[in-house]
Amino acid sequence: MSQMTTRPQIDRRVGKAVNVGEVRRLRILRSLSGYLFLAPALLYLLGVSIYPLISTIQMSFMEVEQGGWQVVGLQNYANLLRDLWFWNSLKIISVVAVASTVLHISIGMALALLLNEHWFSIILRNFMRGILIFTWMFSTAAAALMWSLLFHPFGLFNYLAKTLFDLSAPVEFLGNTSLALWSVIVVGAWKYYPYYMLMILGGLQTIPLELYEAAKVDGANYWHRFRHVTLPLLRPVLIVISTIDMIATFSHVDLFKMLTRGGPLRTTEVVAYYIYKSALLDGNLGYGAAISTFVLMCLVVFMVVYMRILSRGGETGETSF
Amino acid sequence: MKRASELPRRARSVIGQVFVVGSTMTVAIIIMIPIIWMLNAAVRPIKEILVYPPMLIPQQITFEYFGSIIRNEQYQRFFLNSIILSLSTLAASIGLGLPAAYGFSRFRIRGGRIMLLSIMALLMLPPVTLIIPYFRLAKAFRFYDTVSGLIIVNIAFALPLVIWLLKAYVDSIPVELEEAALIDGCNRLQALQKILMPLAIPAIIGVGTFAFIAAWNEYLMAAVLTDTPRSQVITIGLSLFFGQRFRDWNAIMALATLSSLPLMIIFIFFQRWVVQGMTSGAVK
Repeated sequence: MSQMTTRPQIDRRVGKAVNVGEVRRLRILRSLSGYLFLAPALLYLLGVSIYPLISTIQMSFMEVEQGGWQVVGLQNYANLLRDLWFWNSLKIISVVAVASTVLHISIGMALALLLNEHWFSIILRNFMRGILIFTWMFSTAAAALMWSLLFHPFGLFNYLAKTLFDLSAPVEFLGNTSLALWSVIVVGAWKYYPYYMLMILGGLQTIPLELYEAAKVDGANYWHRFRHVTLPLLRPVLIVISTIDMIATFSHVDLFKMLTRGGPLRTTEVVAYYIYKSALLDGNLGYGAAISTFVLMCLVVFMVVYMRILSRGGETGETSF
Repeated sequence: MKRASELPRRARSVIGQVFVVGSTMTVAIIIMIPIIWMLNAAVRPIKEILVYPPMLIPQQITFEYFGSIIRNEQYQRFFLNSIILSLSTLAASIGLGLPAAYGFSRFRIRGGRIMLLSIMALLMLPPVTLIIPYFRLAKAFRFYDTVSGLIIVNIAFALPLVIWLLKAYVDSIPVELEEAALIDGCNRLQALQKILMPLAIPAIIGVGTFAFIAAWNEYLMAAVLTDTPRSQVITIGLSLFFGQRFRDWNAIMALATLSSLPLMIIFIFFQRWVVQGMTSGAVK
């Protein structure tokens, strides 16, 4: 839009000095130098991101046999479709994706609404916002360690559980087949919610105050204002962040690798951890690549559907992108 | 009983304030529990950690665990490697990303939109789908178990976000300033260096902070691509405690605290930029 090559100021000046053919040559040169600015970064991404990505897809048709790579065709995919543990890992990650999206957005929404209220002191408000973003900054490794101390059989949570519910045996938060997954989900929600809170807060701040005033004049109470002003206007933001959240969740592996290693009884074996395990622990590199490719395909389908939803919203004027 | 709407305006706003501030603080305290507990465990003797009932206030405070970690050569190595990794990632991703952002913003690039969208897609690419080729390539090119290998991979992870954020920022800087410089005989590179870079400092600090934090906290690739303490980083140092039967909780928590300390300091000084970076990154 505002490319300099078409800016009259410069062109006029160049035009004064040189003839038309030379101007054209200069323009080509200019856009060539544009590519020169891009080249280092693009070549880097081509070599270090795109090429490995393509070779993941390529390796999914191969397997290491007798010390060398052999082409096995669709064998890995055939195994994949029959592999119940693979479907199990997809099922688990879907539960995690939905649960953490719901948690992130509800926690984020509640806190964003509070922070968006009128505070008597801006400094206090910004301080609280800082405190509430704080958890985002810790590494997954540090977060996993903090929480495993809390989850410890003699830790704080067990003390609370014991005093509140009068339990006799300690709760194995990470060792119980029905609890472990939820424990990891809670740690993930704790670690990642600040991003969603900030995104929602940003969305709230774009809603014009007049709309609330008008709704108030019409006699709308807080819930009505939230339901009929805030939510519809936040819809685009909510769609975007929930999609980002779902996609991000698919790649989550750190917490599962550290806290539970897929256990107990493979109840927390999410698909990303299954890739890691098949490829690097069991040595089936080709099979791991096939799972990776499958996951990538799922994400592409997911994103296409999401773009559709967005553009359909755009046609009816509901979303504003 | 009076309904809320019949109360005088002033009283209502006081009640509202108490509710807003009170509930925010309550949630904040609950959210801080793991962090408080970590700090708490790091400064007390082991016999006071997993006790019934739990003690909120340590009876005796000791910093010996911090001392023993700082003196430990293996941990010194981990910290040094993390610092090298994060600073190199920061420098290289801005060195590559700023010119690219400038190129996308100021030139008519054939297929520029497609390229930007592809970069956006790379941002969403799950790193775990790349561990197999990275593992193979690292072995083939002898990057396995080196800090350089980690740096190469981390730059690739940081770069898409750096390009996106900086492009958005460069777009917001008026071109007239550069035009003046170009007319005065600067070339493009000089215009970028002398005019644009000083103006883009806030954005550069913001994305730099981002790249630094991401590299400092990165765990998966460090776990896949390194094997010996020579090349391992602090997140690996932390994760080594998992799978141990007996855990020395106060030393662990002291290490977790120390590993997060640089980020806490960065956060306190650069909070505004971190917030800006977080919110302007993904949606645009």
